[in-house]
Amino acid sequence: MVAISPGIPAPDWDRRPLARRTTLALAMALAAVAVLSLAVGAAGTSPWGVFADLLAGREVALVDRVVLFEIRLPRLAMGALVGASLAVSGAVMQGLFRNPLADPGLVGVSAGAGLGAISAIVLGGLLPAGLLGFHAVPVAAFLGGWASTLVLYGIATRRGRTSVATMLLGGIALGALAGALSGILVYMADDDQLRDLTFWGLGSLAGATWAKLAAAAPLMLLALIAAPMLARGLNGLALGETAAFHIGIPVQRLKTVAILTVAGATGAAVAVSGGIGFVGIVVPHLLRLATGPDHRALLVNAALLGATLLILADIIARVVIAPAELPIGIVTAVLGGPFFLWILLRKRGVLDL
Amino acid sequence: MLDATRIHVRLGRRTILQGIDFRARPGELTAIVGPNGSGKTTLLRALTGDLSHGGRVRLNGQDLATLRPWVLAGLRAVLPQATPLAFPFTAAEVVRLGLMGGIEAAEADLVPKALARVGLAGFEGRYYQELSGGEQQRVHLARALAQVWHPVAHGQPRWLFLDEPVSSLDIGHQLQVMQIARAYADGGGGVVAVMHDLNLTAMFADRVTLLAEGCALARGTPAEVLCDAALSRAYRCPIRVNTPPRGGTYLLPHAAGRIAAE
Amino acid sequence: MIRPLFAALALAALPAQAADRVVSVGGSITEIVVALGQGDRLVARDTTSTYPETVSDLPDVGYVRRLSPEGVLSVDPDLILAEEGAGPPETVALLQAAAIPFVQIPDGYDRAAVLAKIAAVARALDVPERGAALAADVGAALDAAAKAAEGPARRVMFVMSVQGGRILAAGRDTAADGIIRLAGGENAVTEFEGYKPLTDEAVTRAAPEVILMMAREGADDISAQVLAHPAIRTTPAAEARALVRMDGLYLLGFGPRTAQAVRDLSDALAKAGS
Repeated sequence: MVAISPGIPAPDWDRRPLARRTTLALAMALAAVAVLSLAVGAAGTSPWGVFADLLAGREVALVDRVVLFEIRLPRLAMGALVGASLAVSGAVMQGLFRNPLADPGLVGVSAGAGLGAISAIVLGGLLPAGLLGFHAVPVAAFLGGWASTLVLYGIATRRGRTSVATMLLGGIALGALAGALSGILVYMADDDQLRDLTFWGLGSLAGATWAKLAAAAPLMLLALIAAPMLARGLNGLALGETAAFHIGIPVQRLKTVAILTVAGATGAAVAVSGGIGFVGIVVPHLLRLATGPDHRALLVNAALLGATLLILADIIARVVIAPAELPIGIVTAVLGGPFFLWILLRKRGVLDL
Repeated sequence: MLDATRIHVRLGRRTILQGIDFRARPGELTAIVGPNGSGKTTLLRALTGDLSHGGRVRLNGQDLATLRPWVLAGLRAVLPQATPLAFPFTAAEVVRLGLMGGIEAAEADLVPKALARVGLAGFEGRYYQELSGGEQQRVHLARALAQVWHPVAHGQPRWLFLDEPVSSLDIGHQLQVMQIARAYADGGGGVVAVMHDLNLTAMFADRVTLLAEGCALARGTPAEVLCDAALSRAYRCPIRVNTPPRGGTYLLPHAAGRIAAE
Repeated sequence: MIRPLFAALALAALPAQAADRVVSVGGSITEIVVALGQGDRLVARDTTSTYPETVSDLPDVGYVRRLSPEGVLSVDPDLILAEEGAGPPETVALLQAAAIPFVQIPDGYDRAAVLAKIAAVARALDVPERGAALAADVGAALDAAAKAAEGPARRVMFVMSVQGGRILAAGRDTAADGIIRLAGGENAVTEFEGYKPLTDEAVTRAAPEVILMMAREGADDISAQVLAHPAIRTTPAAEARALVRMDGLYLLGFGPRTAQAVRDLSDALAKAGS
């Protein structure tokens, strides 16, 4: 059969060098958009001018200082971390569920975070004034996301074994429940709160401040550092849980770490930026098509591409209708949706594999 | 030495294995045969540590329950009946999955070597999902081989567990796969295979365990176990060994094997 | 980085001279600025500021509750006048960090609130005399309108939308409730605060004599559809075909035009269905 079948051996069947070149290219792209995001904005502040003034010891105009160091810089850092977290979480979820369409929503993070945010927006007034200040929404969103993931994990784990299928179904049930509770809160909400809810759902990096970053960044960084350690295990998991165990993967530990990582990273990302769709699905997909499904390259590249794309989307969001700005979720969906469809149409054959 | 004592497995309310003892020696190919539902695959899964079970399994003198997954993976590889694959990996990438932690990981050319061993030289860059069922099964065999490429390492035998390794292969590839398993045993490793094909079992196995209804009905050499009485009882139909039919066409791998060898 | 900024903020919080680059956030605030004759000091406005026509040429810094800090800073303002609820708080904090005075104008839905708004805006713009004069005019006009509106109160239901056949109505403590009162009417929905969906049976029980809605620019006239709604069809309002539609900002803005809006509304209420 071997001799007869018309084998098409690719001369360069090893996709690892390609993946490494991709990593390098993405790192350069990230650096480029990072510089761009510091330089571009509604205000005419030029980072070069500010840095030159700082180096020369000249007084920098207060507005320029605020725009550069209090607005653009935290926003850049937030965009990079959120983008990387969403993309990596998506890739980890897809590996864990062995399904290229999985996203962090499946482990209940999004539903829980949404419920948390809505609770904070609607019921925030009932808290003693100034208890959490304007961090109430992100804190509640994070707690909601984390709590719902832990509940789901508890439901799906019996005698030390987590059933991914139970988790999937439980996630649907929990999502419906969170949706119902959110509905009750939406009903209680007044007009202004409804507006806030809508905008929260669309996502934005406009609220990026150093204080929020200080709270959310450690979690996202921790998850981003932990993720590459999951790569080999997720590769093994592509063969199924049994075969993964056969090749030496501690499957249960892998599942636990993966779920906690995703809950932490997505919870923190959603908490500070609201609902930003598409990054978690599109980025890993693109990279799988480009350099293959090996998670060792995929997770690193997903972090870089996710960060790059979100920073780029944020630049567009704040420039296109300046001095107002679009919610970034609209930008990612408007750009991501058609692009994703185009990829699907072009690569239909490969995706069915 | 693989030494399993009083293996007892219940799935739900049904008892699948009722306290089976099983032994396999390195340097030998040990076959597990028996009718459908007799517990062959369940026994194999208990031996590979996949299934919680009563009794004890010792591999090279170590209790399986105390071995970490990655230590175990350096001792034995498993070829399951069917392995769905989630993402578009290439054949080479699937084989490389077997290399992950083992002592073979440093051997760069092992991936093409393992593929060539199963007759898939040049298939490295092909997408796994584009391969035929038989080719996919051999890719997984190459993966399992790559995981424990050297039959003996650090003075200890290593093990291949094969669950119906020839079930979706044509006769040529059946012989090829069985010869690979045979060679692995001859190299000092241990091979345990669940087999449906009694002819191939008779040809290649050193020892045979015949299961029926969760019990070991017979164990010994193929000549001892594959006899009219035991087989007829196990498979619940009258079977006569070494009896050519009186007419019609029949075809035995033994003959093919001889021709291939000539 | 942050600490010197706050030090600077404390020094710069009060402008030395009157601001002449003002961002106005909130439709009624913008109206008041223009009514005070200070329209030429505006450099930007928010999305809800649509009157008078002249302000639509100004750059739009976005929706009142979702202001982008850099967008606001980009028009180089030296004063921001914002209605209550403008935000988000992060943006307000950053604007304060950039030493841009940010003045919140309290909101409310009655005569006193309108006058207080005018006074607050005038004070922030450093034109208290003009403010006093405008407040006196508006106060007098409101009194006159109230007098004209005297008579039997009609039951009015303000319908925000009929999306998907569900009626979103105004309860207590809303701008709609305020304007209905000023126009001598009676809000038919008093069971809740804010804007909420009403069940069909509650609509029937509220038994409004007049339905009040916002007229949206460019939108088709949906009066016939609304009056044919199964729940509304049972009300006296539908029987008399009493449906009043008025411009949203004009009706609910509680600014300088409110006295005129009260007159228009009370006239319309009197005429509707008769």
